Amino acid sequence: MGFLEGLLAGPKLFILQWKWPLYFDRLFLITVKTKRNNERTMAKFEELIKAGLLACTMLSVLVTALIVLSVFSETFRFFSHVPLTDFFFGTEWSPQTAIRADQAGSSGTFGAVPVFLGTFLVTLIAMAVAAPLGLYAAIYLSVYAGATFRAWAKPVLEILAGVPSVVYGYFAVITLAPILRAGGEMIGLSIASESALTAGTVMGIMITPYVMSLSEDVISAVPKSLSFGSLAMGATQSETIKKVVLPAALPGIVSALLLGISRGVGETMVVVMAAGLAANLTLNPLESVTTATVQIVTLLVGDHEFDSDKTLAAFALGFSLFFMTLLLNIIALVIVKRYRERYD
Amino acid sequence: MIKLFERQTRIAMSRVKKKKSPFMYKSYSKKPKHKWIKKRKAAEKRFKCAGFIAILISSLFLASLIWNIFSSGRSAFTEAQIRLPVTFESELVEQGAYRKIVQNSILKLFPYVEDRKEKRDLFGLVSRNAPHMLKEFVTQDPTLIGTRREVWIPASSTISIFYKQRLLEQSKRGGKVTASHASWVTELAKSERMRLKFNTAFFKNGDSREAEQAGVLVSTIGSFMTILICIAMAFPLGVATAIYLEEFAPKKWFTDFIEININNLAAVPSIIFGLLGLSIYLNLFGVPRSSSLVGGMVLALLILPVIVIATRNALQAVPPSIRYAAAALGATPTQVVFHHTLIYALPGIMTGVILSIARAFGETAPLLMIGMVAFVADIPKTLTDPATTLPVQVYLWASNPELGFVEKTAAAIMVLLTFMILINLLAIYIRRRFEIKW
Repeated sequence: MGFLEGLLAGPKLFILQWKWPLYFDRLFLITVKTKRNNERTMAKFEELIKAGLLACTMLSVLVTALIVLSVFSETFRFFSHVPLTDFFFGTEWSPQTAIRADQAGSSGTFGAVPVFLGTFLVTLIAMAVAAPLGLYAAIYLSVYAGATFRAWAKPVLEILAGVPSVVYGYFAVITLAPILRAGGEMIGLSIASESALTAGTVMGIMITPYVMSLSEDVISAVPKSLSFGSLAMGATQSETIKKVVLPAALPGIVSALLLGISRGVGETMVVVMAAGLAANLTLNPLESVTTATVQIVTLLVGDHEFDSDKTLAAFALGFSLFFMTLLLNIIALVIVKRYRERYD
Repeated sequence: MIKLFERQTRIAMSRVKKKKSPFMYKSYSKKPKHKWIKKRKAAEKRFKCAGFIAILISSLFLASLIWNIFSSGRSAFTEAQIRLPVTFESELVEQGAYRKIVQNSILKLFPYVEDRKEKRDLFGLVSRNAPHMLKEFVTQDPTLIGTRREVWIPASSTISIFYKQRLLEQSKRGGKVTASHASWVTELAKSERMRLKFNTAFFKNGDSREAEQAGVLVSTIGSFMTILICIAMAFPLGVATAIYLEEFAPKKWFTDFIEININNLAAVPSIIFGLLGLSIYLNLFGVPRSSSLVGGMVLALLILPVIVIATRNALQAVPPSIRYAAAALGATPTQVVFHHTLIYALPGIMTGVILSIARAFGETAPLLMIGMVAFVADIPKTLTDPATTLPVQVYLWASNPELGFVEKTAAAIMVLLTFMILINLLAIYIRRRFEIKW
């Protein structure tokens, strides 16, 4: 412990003991070289600080504007080349041919339905794993678990949430895919090595702690008096949860699940490593599918001519992704706001 | 009297029941249980079990993940070396034909190998980097020329793995251990010409085409440079935004808009930030591609909303009485914030910032978009040099089909996870030690 203390003495001193915000105004007063008690200087300083903070805030907001602007303008350019209906209703996705404009067979086909379907399938599998695991874990931790059990179960789930997604991708490729394939062969199923099942399962495990912590917050926000009332009437703990707590927490849980879905839709590394590249129009989880994020990565990684249809298609996919997650987040927000029961 | 006795026995028995197994209850109980109560109790048990199993599955997954990475990455920290009787012939050294020197010394060990194909296999025993190493030896010590020395040379990655794991069959991911390789290795091992050494190359080198020479130093430095840029941009901006929103902003529709905006930004997929970096930073501003500068700038945007939210929470936790007291003593609004509120919120802010740094440290997807997947073998000297980060290095090695890179990937993940754990420990320490409970 002594070693650790010594190691942390530096950051401790500089970040926490040296109270840097104290010197903000003094620094200013030194630079303008006036006395501290000059009221007009102080007023000027106040205004300056406020203006600076406002500027920072505007800069932060600008980020959203930049995203919308950059992604939207490229998407707009893409749709001036490729009709909107082709993109959203076409069922064939093969952008790889359109590398240069003067190349033979340069017009790739950009029907994004298989890509979106793949995204949907992988996310569905992920939620099929994450929703029950996350919900049951949240219920167990908030209702049944004792203090000691919580004390080690919580950190485990926090570690699970903190592991970088590239590690999950590696695990999916190296460990889970061979296991699933061998298991499938044993019962006579042929599972592709880049199956949606592998990517979805690992992604589901990855989303589980997220869903769990969100729904645990919601469950513990339900007033205790409700469940006490139910228990006093002779209901068992599980009946109380199923018939009293969960209905009361339903909007929050639905929004937690929606946020989980939006997380899964936008997740990149697991699917880039574990899902396939070919856009198959299928709902079979044992086959290889591709997702929007995989396509964005494969279209944009490497040196390409920036203005080709191929790179612009990635921006169109990115825009749809952005729009989708935004929509899911807003729906989650609205559900919580509109349907939340107020008990105080 | 009898009734009282009965009651006391029942109480005693209920006590016994609590201590002992349910068999006691079943065999001594006179009261038959109702079917529906049994059903409800069973449902209760099932429900509780399901919750426990959910947590168990998550923990088992984590355990298998760590076990897997540890068991396959452990071997990457050692490498096999072969002791070669090298003759530094002055002719060959002058010609710079170090490859020939290596080949001669290997042939000296195995004089019976004559077939061309066999010979090629034989030369595959040592690392392809061996000629360079000999060249370095000679430039460091020119007196070596013309002498004969015993030199430890790293084995090639397949041989190294074979020696470490004693695999006899050909491995799944393109290893090339043939029967003759196996016999040579056994022969070398018998004559004490093979040894296992701590793999210093892994901590001293950058990426390499040869698995036995690939290391994590360059990507670690790249990671730290990127994170430094990221903190320098996101920290002041995020904290200032949070202070403005929490302490100074008038409550209007405009602030509501900003708040919703930032909350939404926190939920935007990370790859979208990569697209932003590609089209704005690279194409509009002309920031050098695949540099740590542009990587840090993209990651800064990624963690900006997280920092804003964490800082706002920390500021909200400071009770208003602190603010009132300071204002009552004549502090101006900025003095209230910078001299009092912010000081008390600082531990909370720091915890949030460090956790968001951990997130940025493990982020890969947006960096792929801005070209940080480049093959980087040299330590980046300035912020605009091509750089790569640790998670990206993991991704690159994971997509390399060569067998030698599998253990390197796992080892790089171990290094990455070690850094993550250290960062998180720092956050936990700050939270435990400094956070003020009101």
